[in-house]
Amino acid sequence: MKNSQLYKGSLNTIIMKLLEENGKMYGYEITQRVKAITQGELNITEGALYPALHKLEAEGLLDVEIEKVDNRLRKYYKLTEKGTTETVNRLAELDDFIKTMQRLVNPKLAF
Amino acid sequence: MEKKLTTEQIDQLYTFTRQHYVEWYDLQTELVDHLANAIETEWQQNPKLTFDEVLSKEFQKFGVFGFMDVIEEKRKFLQKKYNQIVLSQVKTFFTLPKIMLTIATTGFLYMLLKVSQYNGELVLLFYSILIVFVFYAIISHWLKRKKQIKENQKRWLLKDIINQYGSFAIIIIFPLNIFMRIFNHSEQFLNSEYAVGFTSFFLVLGTIFLYVIFVLIPKKSEEYLLKYYPEYNF
Repeated sequence: MKNSQLYKGSLNTIIMKLLEENGKMYGYEITQRVKAITQGELNITEGALYPALHKLEAEGLLDVEIEKVDNRLRKYYKLTEKGTTETVNRLAELDDFIKTMQRLVNPKLAF
Repeated sequence: MEKKLTTEQIDQLYTFTRQHYVEWYDLQTELVDHLANAIETEWQQNPKLTFDEVLSKEFQKFGVFGFMDVIEEKRKFLQKKYNQIVLSQVKTFFTLPKIMLTIATTGFLYMLLKVSQYNGELVLLFYSILIVFVFYAIISHWLKRKKQIKENQKRWLLKDIINQYGSFAIIIIFPLNIFMRIFNHSEQFLNSEYAVGFTSFFLVLGTIFLYVIFVLIPKKSEEYLLKYYPEYNF
């Protein structure tokens, strides 16, 4: 992941936001979607994605579904009700963070 | 035409994850699908690459630790779940109707230790039975697991945790020292009613824990699998 330290704290929020927009998604799809949206700027590594997904599932924010696709099983993730509410909170939090950072790094623009 | 993975290659991917220490079907399935997607996408751009070439390229993206992070996170989660299961089962012995049995057993043991002149020996005997039982259960599971691996059966991480008895099993050994002392100085220790009461209760509590960990939960393991992996529709 590029600038991994900076993006790391927001990985969960990114995943939840994507699921909010797309309904259900599987792991590989999430990595590809992020790559496409950010035009390759942000590349979520597999080693970070799956632990994050499993953690969110453990917290009850995500639900899983298995489907047979081609000749293999695919595990889909989607937001639970609790997850949907939490997404709103986390996005607001992220928004605040971005604004604060902007004020700090670029005080002129903020006023 | 798009190049797709054959069923045989999917099986190869399962073997690949197993070779990289992902021994559990639940985790394997997700990683196999991920690798398969990655390989098929890569083939769209470089159709000439062989299966093995693309696979090793994709695996590198997981980093130096390979699938380790993925396994660790999942294990932590399931271990927590398992501890919750154990505690909730133990708790049932302290609610009606089972609490009657718990109280009666503790009371019986209390009376026995109070009356018998061999109370020190009795305590040590009960405790030894518990320890022997733990070792028997651990060895028998170890043999079962070896057979499973040999026969290449599907394994589930939660079930493995259940059968490995979490980190609980080992605590039975810790109070060995205390019990030896009770045995050696039984006239002193087992004179006080509190000491007898505490020893009786401890032995009963230990038995409940071991019963839950080694008998009750393994017996119900299919039920728990169904609950924690509902998506697989056993």
